[in-house]
Amino acid sequence: MRTDQPTLIDLLRRAGAFHEVGLRLLDRSERASWFPWSEVSRRAEDTCGRLQRLGLEPGDRVGLVFPTSIDFIDTFFGVILAGAVPVPLYPPVRLGRLEEYLSRTSRMLSAVSPRMVLADERVRRLLGTAVRDVAPELGCLAPRELPASDGRPVARAANDLALIQFSSGTTVDPKPVALSHRAVVAQAVALNAHWPDSCDHVHSGVSWLPLYHDMGLIGCVITALERPGSMTLIPPELFLARPAVWLRAISRYSATVSVAPNFGYGLCVEKIREEELDGVDLSSWRIGLNGAEPAVPRVMRRFQRRFEQWGLRPETLTPVYGLSEAALAVTFSGLDGPFVSRTFDREALSRRGQAVESFDGLEIASVGEPIDGFQLRILDARKRDLPARQVGRLWIRGPSLMEGYFDRAEATDEVLEDGWLDTGDLGFLYDDELYLTGRAKDVLILRGRSHSPTEVEASVDHVEGVRTGCSVAVSWLPDGADGEVMLLLVEAKNGVPQDSFGEIAERCRAAVRAATGLTADLVEVVAPGTLPRTSSGKLRRQESLRRYLGDELLPPDRVTALRLAGVAVRSSFELARMRWNGRR
Amino acid sequence: MTDSEILTAIAEVARDHGLWEGPLDRDLRLIEDLELDSLKALTLAVEVENRFRVCLDPEIEATVVTVGDLVDMVRRELAH
Repeated sequence: MRTDQPTLIDLLRRAGAFHEVGLRLLDRSERASWFPWSEVSRRAEDTCGRLQRLGLEPGDRVGLVFPTSIDFIDTFFGVILAGAVPVPLYPPVRLGRLEEYLSRTSRMLSAVSPRMVLADERVRRLLGTAVRDVAPELGCLAPRELPASDGRPVARAANDLALIQFSSGTTVDPKPVALSHRAVVAQAVALNAHWPDSCDHVHSGVSWLPLYHDMGLIGCVITALERPGSMTLIPPELFLARPAVWLRAISRYSATVSVAPNFGYGLCVEKIREEELDGVDLSSWRIGLNGAEPAVPRVMRRFQRRFEQWGLRPETLTPVYGLSEAALAVTFSGLDGPFVSRTFDREALSRRGQAVESFDGLEIASVGEPIDGFQLRILDARKRDLPARQVGRLWIRGPSLMEGYFDRAEATDEVLEDGWLDTGDLGFLYDDELYLTGRAKDVLILRGRSHSPTEVEASVDHVEGVRTGCSVAVSWLPDGADGEVMLLLVEAKNGVPQDSFGEIAERCRAAVRAATGLTADLVEVVAPGTLPRTSSGKLRRQESLRRYLGDELLPPDRVTALRLAGVAVRSSFELARMRWNGRR
Repeated sequence: MTDSEILTAIAEVARDHGLWEGPLDRDLRLIEDLELDSLKALTLAVEVENRFRVCLDPEIEATVVTVGDLVDMVRRELAH
């Protein structure tokens, strides 16, 4: 076994010698607290000692439930130094929906059987029921409660587990992505190699991404550790409520790199007022990565036009592609020029799966070429390689793939085969660059987060007038929209009159909002038996969407009812579209 | 600060951030009546904290259903 591959422990030790670079945390008033890496490292050693005193051992999983704060940084690196495996989890959502949060947290915790849970002091009191179900042997503690003690960082090998992060579709069936030290370090090395420091500029970053998410944790904190460089962290809730904070921080700290999902760029265009950007200068910002959900050319152009008067460079926005199973990034578009997009003939793309450039059609942004060490394949349903410009399923191979889903051998075997990972995404190669067209797996991607459709579907099961178990939730990116839109198709119960479909749709929309906090942009009630099913009776989500968009979603028989339903579907689609456009 | 002053201030926050245009009364429910999704609820929470310079308690926050509950919570925090 090679022993020269560094672990996160080695990276933290090395960074511990740096006093001029580190992490800066902004609070709600945009006041900064500064922690140079020397300090982060010292604090982590202190936390490590406390954890060891309590009996934490190498390999133990530790659930971490914190907002963006120094407590997260202390406990994350403290657990790493103790040779244990941190599992970052979401803190509670604001204003309600506690039950949903607790049951999701409980499912995520039981998926990793933690020996200990560490939580923000104020959040900890809320976690009672979620923690009781998994009963971590060493308890659920706030950092202040850890007993002081000297500790000694443990030696770990590159192949040992470094951390577990949850993948998409986490809400109903949480899939814990297990990453080794080798994978996490390889990802950070590949990212940093992509934008080396030069004599003109030393790179530094700003991020508002949550630290329980791969883009925030690995993409921002761990790349800064590997460099070592500086990174300013903004609590995500502060950005969501007041997006100008992000751009002000980039300007104030002359940051060169920052990353966000597409909706974050859209939110800035929509919500930031001119007077919030007094004195802001964005000319230091060289790399503005756009990932985690489809990068929409129209949104990027609007962002570009809106903020160029504050010095935003034309080459800054950079669409990228990645997924948590690969630790984070897989492909990057070029950093030297504006992003590239092409327009493809819609008919050829949807009917024959061929990418034919055309004057008028579907515009897709290139997500570029694989980063160092990664390879791509586009395969057909029988796993045969497809030629360029042909749509197929994307498989990837590279140095930072997960070891597997933790304790889920069967789920792992479904996606990992001979060192290749089935991403579940659909796309094609064009002039060696990757273009994504959709997903083969049924994940809803809304505002940069993945949701499971089953959770949305289950929330309308008991709505009056709905045929239980007969609804599908899908999301897609309509022409002209700034982000993905959620469509919920619901079959009415037998005998429910058609003139009540509108009311049922409204009740479904309210039920989805109450149960999940998501907005169903389009809700369509259809006659029983309308939704396409497999031979075994399972509803087919992607086929339902295809038929809906093609106006082919028709009830099983009865010609008159069929025509009526067709008209109803179209008119309420128009209505819903108006509502959707009106909201923007 | 009286309850009605708190309510008026919350209504201003909601209007300034495009969350709710009409008059607010105590009985309106945040999710069902104001139709707040997660992002809007979060915006309301953060901006209410900012407006009153308080820090809402996550444990109590989880029990908020109506505008009136939110007013009560702000009043308790202001009294601290």
